[in-house]
Amino acid sequence: MITQLPIGQIIVITITSTLLSLILNVVRPDGIPLLAKELAVAEEIEYDAATEPRLLAITLEQALDLYQKGTVFVDAREPEYYQEGHIRGAFNFPFFLELVFKLDSLQGKDAPLVIYCSGDECGSSEDLAYELQGEGFSNLLVFKGGWTAWNSSGHPMEP
Amino acid sequence: MINFPQRSVIALLCRVILGVVLVYASIDKIVHPAEFSKAIGNYNVLPFGLENLLGIVLPILELLVGTCLVLGVMLDGSAIIAAGMMVVFIIALSQALFRGIDINCGCFKVTVENGGHQVGIRRIIEDCIYLGMALMVLSRGERKWELYPKS
Repeated sequence: MITQLPIGQIIVITITSTLLSLILNVVRPDGIPLLAKELAVAEEIEYDAATEPRLLAITLEQALDLYQKGTVFVDAREPEYYQEGHIRGAFNFPFFLELVFKLDSLQGKDAPLVIYCSGDECGSSEDLAYELQGEGFSNLLVFKGGWTAWNSSGHPMEP
Repeated sequence: MINFPQRSVIALLCRVILGVVLVYASIDKIVHPAEFSKAIGNYNVLPFGLENLLGIVLPILELLVGTCLVLGVMLDGSAIIAAGMMVVFIIALSQALFRGIDINCGCFKVTVENGGHQVGIRRIIEDCIYLGMALMVLSRGERKWELYPKS
């Protein structure tokens, strides 16, 4: 019997769990696509409220352009990184609902919002964008270069 | 030197603890597949969007391996898979820590808001202990308290 040997057991366990998980993913209502899609990169950004909901990635140039037009920036990093240095005027709230309340009362849910974290390789900006989307925010722009790109190009920062 | 009866008891303890840990770790991931896949994606180690596939399969594999370890079913295979998973987790956590990327671990709870933890040295040490437990199960010697296969 194949399951008497360790290699056979490994094969049986691996195949069983793969099949089970794929079946579960198909039947459950919140199943996910088998391969993840990257966030689409924005081609051109209009400053005004978007006509339809959007969640896009933006470059450093686009982020700077939006910054100069007064767009609200949100720092998705942990507070200790924020305190070490951040984009001037950017928000950072350790509690998600506090952030939601603040943003909503400041400019509503349709105004553009730029979210960043430490750089290209962090995921917290994208995670936060999806969470804000879940709260009804509809104009979300993820600045992929984040703090590293902003800092190294010498744009306005504090402290 | 640990003699055989004691060794069997230690192996039994290791196998039950490791099994319970794996089952517990799988639950939040099974409930939140999208969040877990994002947590894997944040490690930046997988190409072509494969994090979703791993996010779907890995929790069920953890659940199955954990159950097999607790029940004593196909122990050799389960312990080898558990050890392999721990090695992969240790490598993934270490490279994240080494590169200094500030990400959610995705180890037990998949989101930080839900009580999850950031990547840190503590998680790596824990995984090393679990790896030791899996190796202990593999080197258990006498086969006692096992459902299948009977030796």
